[in-house]
Amino acid sequence: MSFWGQVIEFARRDLVAERRTGEVVAIVMPFGAVALMTLPFALTIDSALLSRVGPAMFWVVSLLFAMQIALRHSAADRPEHRAMLSLLGIDPFARLIGRAASSSLLVGLFMAVMFPLMVVFYSPDLPPGWPSALLPAALAALGLSLVGTLAAEVTAGLSGRTMLAPLIVAPLAIPLLVGGSQALESLPDNGGILPWTLLVAATDLALAVAGAVVARPLEEAAR
Amino acid sequence: MTKIQVMLGLAAVALAGGLVLALNAPIDALQGEFSRIMHLHVPASWLAFLAFGVTAVASIMWRIRRTRAWDRRAAASAEIGVLFTALSLATGSLWGGAVWGTYWDWADPRIATTALMFFVYLGYLALRSASPDAESAAARSSILGIIAVVQVPLVYFSVNMFRSLHQGQSIRPDGATMPGGMLVAMLVNVGVFTLVYFALLAARTDVMRQEEAARALEPAAGEAVRPPRFDEVPDV
Repeated sequence: MSFWGQVIEFARRDLVAERRTGEVVAIVMPFGAVALMTLPFALTIDSALLSRVGPAMFWVVSLLFAMQIALRHSAADRPEHRAMLSLLGIDPFARLIGRAASSSLLVGLFMAVMFPLMVVFYSPDLPPGWPSALLPAALAALGLSLVGTLAAEVTAGLSGRTMLAPLIVAPLAIPLLVGGSQALESLPDNGGILPWTLLVAATDLALAVAGAVVARPLEEAAR
Repeated sequence: MTKIQVMLGLAAVALAGGLVLALNAPIDALQGEFSRIMHLHVPASWLAFLAFGVTAVASIMWRIRRTRAWDRRAAASAEIGVLFTALSLATGSLWGGAVWGTYWDWADPRIATTALMFFVYLGYLALRSASPDAESAAARSSILGIIAVVQVPLVYFSVNMFRSLHQGQSIRPDGATMPGGMLVAMLVNVGVFTLVYFALLAARTDVMRQEEAARALEPAAGEAVRPPRFDEVPDV
């Protein structure tokens, strides 16, 4: 099977597993909605302030829950399964990219559900032309999935990995958070979203290169 | 007296000398006595960069050689780096509180990037402690140790790349931006802290080696259970 054939097969397998378990749709998404609802209680009912912080809260929730999506139980391989894949000669980078691709779709779906919820809960003043910020948002979803998948691989098989992985990689995902959120913020000031889109795209590229370099050592480390 | 004890003793003496020099160095006309924090803040920051650089090099060496010594150096250096990054953040915050009027400024890229670097290396240490054995810890953390070092140049050059409250580099190709006495005291303290780093690295690496040797002597699970010897059972 070709490299891209392996990638597609891994992504398909993860999505089928997600459809069966419903981990993201039934657990992570409702939890994300609850997280979006908690801040207004902590800030008291200040509509102007909530309207201002809504988009920022959306990005914080997206960052933290993207890690949970990448670390979901249905996307974790047991050691014997890893050993079998290794014996079959599966390319570790194809597995990593396939997993990141399926996570990207799920993170994108999560963000697509959280954004209208944020609009309902926080009533932000979205600037004209806000749909143009969807491109950096989609690129950020890809980056968050890549960084989450890398974290999942580094911590594979360790106890407490669901806490450990976000600690390791959440700081590395900050450029995605900055680029994604500032793209929307720059619209009212007539600032171009291009620099922020490029920042997110460059981070995605750097993460993909890092994945290609460390895929094989990670395979060995997780044994 | 062992070599490590000699190194630690020399480091302690050098620290005392550096302190005396810092207390007698010229002070900034505007900042007054607060400017003396520089003699602690700059060397601590330099040491953090050095320590994380050594962690990356030792991680690469572990991936090539696969010897325990390189892994111990990488881990020990990361521990020291985290300690001195915390010191750098604390002294920088105190200095900022006195001079800028704020302990933390989110618009300052160097503070923010240093804090991120601190948390990434805390994660590095957490990853090591969560790994079930030394080999697994080395295999996993060496990858993170190599990737995470990209933050060091980002932190260092952040004051040049973005507008910031933080002052720029003190030593530039066109000359230093501070008087000679102040510069000498700062550079001497950078040297002193470098000596402290190597002394701490040697000591911590040795402690890790001894801990591993002690663990190797511990009985494995099941070794304490002796199989029954029927020849010891008295006839009844």
